[in-house]
Amino acid sequence: MSAVEVKTRRRVVGSDLTRHDAVEKVQGRTAYAADFSLPGMLHARLKRSDYAHARLARVDTSAAEAIDGVVSVYTAADVPRNTVWVDVPGQTLEVGALKARSNVLADEVVRYHGEPIALVAAETEDAALAAVDAIAIDYEPLAVVDDAERALDPDAPRIHETGNMLAHWELEEGDVEAGLDAAEAMVESEYRTQFVDHAYLEPEAGVSWRDTDGVITIRAATQVVEHFRDVAKILDLPDNRVRLITPYVGGGFGGKEDMTVEPYLGIVVALTGRPVRMVWSRQESLMARQNRHAVRMRYRTGADAGGRLVAMDVDILSDGGAYALLSALVLLYSTTCAAGPYRCPNVRIRARTVYTNHTPCSAMRGFGGMQVALGYEGQMDLLAAELGIDPLELRRLNFVERGDTLPIGQPLETTVELPALVDAVTDRLGPLPEPSGRRRAVGRGFACNLQPYGRCVWLNDWSSAWIGFELDGTLVIRIAVPDIGGGQASSLIQIASETLGVPPERIAIHIGDSALNPLTGTTTATRQLYMSGNAVLEAARRLRERLAGVAAELLEVEPERIEFAAEGVRERDGSRSLDFKALLAACASVDVAWHVLATYRAPKGVPWQADETWRGRVFPDFTYGCHAADVEIDLDSGQARVLRYVAAHDVGQAINPQSVEGQIEGGVAMGLGYALSERLVFEEGQNLTGSFAQYLIPTAVEVPDITPVILESGEGKGPFNARGIGEPPIGPPAPAVAAAIHAATELRLTELPFTPERISAAIGAREEAADATS
Amino acid sequence: MYPRPFEYARPDSVGDAIQALSGAAGEGRAIAGGQSLVPMMSLGLASPDLLVDVGRLPLAGAERAGGTLVLGALTRHRELERSGELGRHVPLAADAARYIGNPRVRNRGTLGGSLSHADPASELGAVALAHGGRVVIASGDGERSVAIRDFFHGYFVTAVRSGELLTRVELDLPPPGTGHGFSEISNRADDFATAAAAALVTIDDRGLCAAARLALAGVGDRAMRCERAEALCRGETLDDELLGRLNRTVVEAVAPEADAFVSAEYRARAAGICAARALGAAWRRAREERL
Amino acid sequence: MIVGFTLNGSPQRCEVPAHWTLLRMLRDAAGRTDAKHGCGEGVCGACAVFVDGVAVNSCSVLAPQVEGAAVETVAGLGADGELHPLQTEMVARGGVQCGFCTPGMVISAVEAVRIGAAGSEEEIRHSLAGNLCRCTGYGKIVGAVAAYRDGEPE
Repeated sequence: MSAVEVKTRRRVVGSDLTRHDAVEKVQGRTAYAADFSLPGMLHARLKRSDYAHARLARVDTSAAEAIDGVVSVYTAADVPRNTVWVDVPGQTLEVGALKARSNVLADEVVRYHGEPIALVAAETEDAALAAVDAIAIDYEPLAVVDDAERALDPDAPRIHETGNMLAHWELEEGDVEAGLDAAEAMVESEYRTQFVDHAYLEPEAGVSWRDTDGVITIRAATQVVEHFRDVAKILDLPDNRVRLITPYVGGGFGGKEDMTVEPYLGIVVALTGRPVRMVWSRQESLMARQNRHAVRMRYRTGADAGGRLVAMDVDILSDGGAYALLSALVLLYSTTCAAGPYRCPNVRIRARTVYTNHTPCSAMRGFGGMQVALGYEGQMDLLAAELGIDPLELRRLNFVERGDTLPIGQPLETTVELPALVDAVTDRLGPLPEPSGRRRAVGRGFACNLQPYGRCVWLNDWSSAWIGFELDGTLVIRIAVPDIGGGQASSLIQIASETLGVPPERIAIHIGDSALNPLTGTTTATRQLYMSGNAVLEAARRLRERLAGVAAELLEVEPERIEFAAEGVRERDGSRSLDFKALLAACASVDVAWHVLATYRAPKGVPWQADETWRGRVFPDFTYGCHAADVEIDLDSGQARVLRYVAAHDVGQAINPQSVEGQIEGGVAMGLGYALSERLVFEEGQNLTGSFAQYLIPTAVEVPDITPVILESGEGKGPFNARGIGEPPIGPPAPAVAAAIHAATELRLTELPFTPERISAAIGAREEAADATS
Repeated sequence: MYPRPFEYARPDSVGDAIQALSGAAGEGRAIAGGQSLVPMMSLGLASPDLLVDVGRLPLAGAERAGGTLVLGALTRHRELERSGELGRHVPLAADAARYIGNPRVRNRGTLGGSLSHADPASELGAVALAHGGRVVIASGDGERSVAIRDFFHGYFVTAVRSGELLTRVELDLPPPGTGHGFSEISNRADDFATAAAAALVTIDDRGLCAAARLALAGVGDRAMRCERAEALCRGETLDDELLGRLNRTVVEAVAPEADAFVSAEYRARAAGICAARALGAAWRRAREERL
Repeated sequence: MIVGFTLNGSPQRCEVPAHWTLLRMLRDAAGRTDAKHGCGEGVCGACAVFVDGVAVNSCSVLAPQVEGAAVETVAGLGADGELHPLQTEMVARGGVQCGFCTPGMVISAVEAVRIGAAGSEEEIRHSLAGNLCRCTGYGKIVGAVAAYRDGEPE
């Protein structure tokens, strides 16, 4: 394969360096958000709505306040600024089109089951729990909107004064109807995806205290330390009076991108002056924290006789739940990725997201770019069958290439190695396994995808990093990156080590502090390695250049001949050397600082205007993938078992191959849960999925042996030409499983998840039909 | 998130335990392994006023008495699953125990606790019904014995009354020439059973089915036998054709309720599949034993 | 009430209400945070500890139930600051990502190997089925357990 070549020998980048945080974690010594306690701290809990949509006629907190140990019970009126307009979180300035409103505590009306109504602070957790139980609320139920189609009806109850349309993106390139009319083959289908929970193992938690300088300091599990600004606004304080620290986070996946406990912690500290801890239960995490959007997609796809796509008509309707949060941005990802990694001259995309009385939906791994994979890949399989072309061949005929433009106007500037990814997967698959018994069938399915890395370019994203030596020659990195388990921090150590020669074990990294670290933006959008990696690389290169200059003078050699090694610098192919301590002493004598603050800025773009003719760049770049699944179906029970899974992605350059494999394997497992078992079930707005026994993430038994394949094209916009890999692996599993189920049973399933009941029902319906005709 | 406050007692004898349970102000409950009760309390689904910890009472141990295996109420699922000795006597229970919760639930969960809890999806409820026998219940008036077939009264309700304690289970052991089968369908490993079936099939000298026991879990308000299916087996060879009929018979015989996650129709379908698989496995084992 | 037990070999007396779980007592009375609260309903396994040498979900055991027992958390596994061989494998093979499931996973895996329930890959997967992990996809954890069982440190 041409894509897999070793380009440059490197010391540290590209090696399976053991993560510095793993040893602490495996011993249980890492202090996660809920593991921290403060002397004299209060315990805070939320009273949440029992109704999906209701007017709050009366909220009586008197009985709760009378409980021994209860310090205070707050409602909306107590919050300094309860209604907040939240910008797309991060270090950006306001972007009007994407602003979203929500309440800290419900004010007059609750719009989803579980919406916070009151905040209790008590001396003990038991008193807080009792107080929550003792809050008396009279609800006047309002009509519930629990269906996205219904939300669009003119006579549907309005969830917000502005109406139920949350956001929409619409565009047409070419002439879709003419294209479809002229097509040799046209396939049409509807696809449905479900509400999904992030289900990281660490529920939302944090502590907060008023520090000696009066700054309200919050230590919480979050993907976004820049939320200190949002908390400041809620508290009506200047931004610089709130500080947010995030310890190592027990999983994020987008679920800790919006605020969770942060505002409530800030309120208690601001109003009581005392330290506080808040820990959400798994049950409230499942019931009331934002989900992945459920989406209904309609696709019409046409191709010519040779199999080349000629037209595509896509209609996307997503359920945004009760508050906007990041829905508009999520929908933008759907719009950008709707046609998949395929060329098509005539494309129409209509994407809408609406308010309902479901739990608000927002960020989750794949962020709108993943649901559409079920649609565009399902269409390719339908089209292949219609035309009698092998599904992979049909894809090869239509893959985008460098220089192409996505329908929204997004240029593709880096290499697209999809053909090589298909080859890589097929090479590793081997023969299709035999069914394990009678009434069992095995099939193989493939799916490809594209997923952006880096945030939307209109947000003017940037990331800063500070690197400096200590006097003993060790190295320090300061950067506000939240590490949510993907090795975000340790990859930065590898990048610094590669550039400055200092071995990883002699580098310390201080992360996750909005006050003491340079801000680096969110650990979201598959941007952290890309953005912070580039910032660290830039800082390290500048530091290296600066020190090389000093060393060159001292050693009397050309700066270009100065090499950086573990103990210090030396002359390439020469004998002269200088350890870091001596070099730093020399720097001091000539007033050269041995630290650098550097900022990396992402590419910019012209923001979308309310104009259907707008076209342009939306994202910095994309990561591509191809996956294959071998699935066995029990034709009686309908149970699907994934026997083998191969997943290949071009990551440009793997900074830490083991971490890349970890992202691929973990993403596939999460994608298989989405494909087969996970769903939040609502009934008239009531979330019935209130326990971990009901929300079925895969166990070690359901997840098969996954073969990750890392392709390194040497092209990407991250450090050392890396591409992001956090989100991309989540897209293909569901369409790959759908294709495998079809290969095994000839059934086309289009509604996720593919539960035993759904598969069984489809098999039963077909067998009945066959009996009727025979 | 956490259990709410309750009174706690750890008596030293069965008599003291019964006295404590009888004297409870409000709802008193016995706790042994606590693997169902404590999670339910944490989820707010149970909030007893008094918990009587019977976990240290001398109610463990197993003893064979003629055609009966007497199992102490504190017999752990893990013992049923992994003890070779118990496995020889009640291999059906050993097979079923592997489907209960996860290894740590099986480490602590007890037979008496599981039966008293009476979750209709409980594997051991179906096993006990398939074997038949008696449950021994202690009360202030002494001991009484209840036939297993009369023990389950409905969702989480049994013959154990307030102030009483299940102390041991006497399982009838099937005659030689009996094979066992257990089958379960769930949406995930560790998940509650969508449906499960426990079967015992005895073969006669002619190689035909002399007797069959079939008990189902997950398809009603309690574990239940399916006597229509059992009757179909008698005097027959359990071949594919008959197993198919048994499957359909069970589907028709059960009337499960739907919940938010599984329809009534699929539960019934799953029960039929499990029944046929359990009976088929029991039949094969019985024949192997004959040979 | 006072609950007396040993914690990683040291005698411990905690004054807690009877309705506290073992997990809550460990975290909020004994100051041991290496058992994690992941679900509180006995499903995820993040709170696993040994009680008298048997693995339990500490969220599903009441504090008074361990009166007189020997409780061991993941911190009690290694000797003299050294990692337990399974921990070494978990680190070396990338079995640790966010790390929140890790302490419970280690407890379960050690027990599975100890009682002979980790003979094949399939057995390992079944033994770990009550320990949910959302980051790794389990493969690298299963590999670490197999390597520990075989005594072949990487």
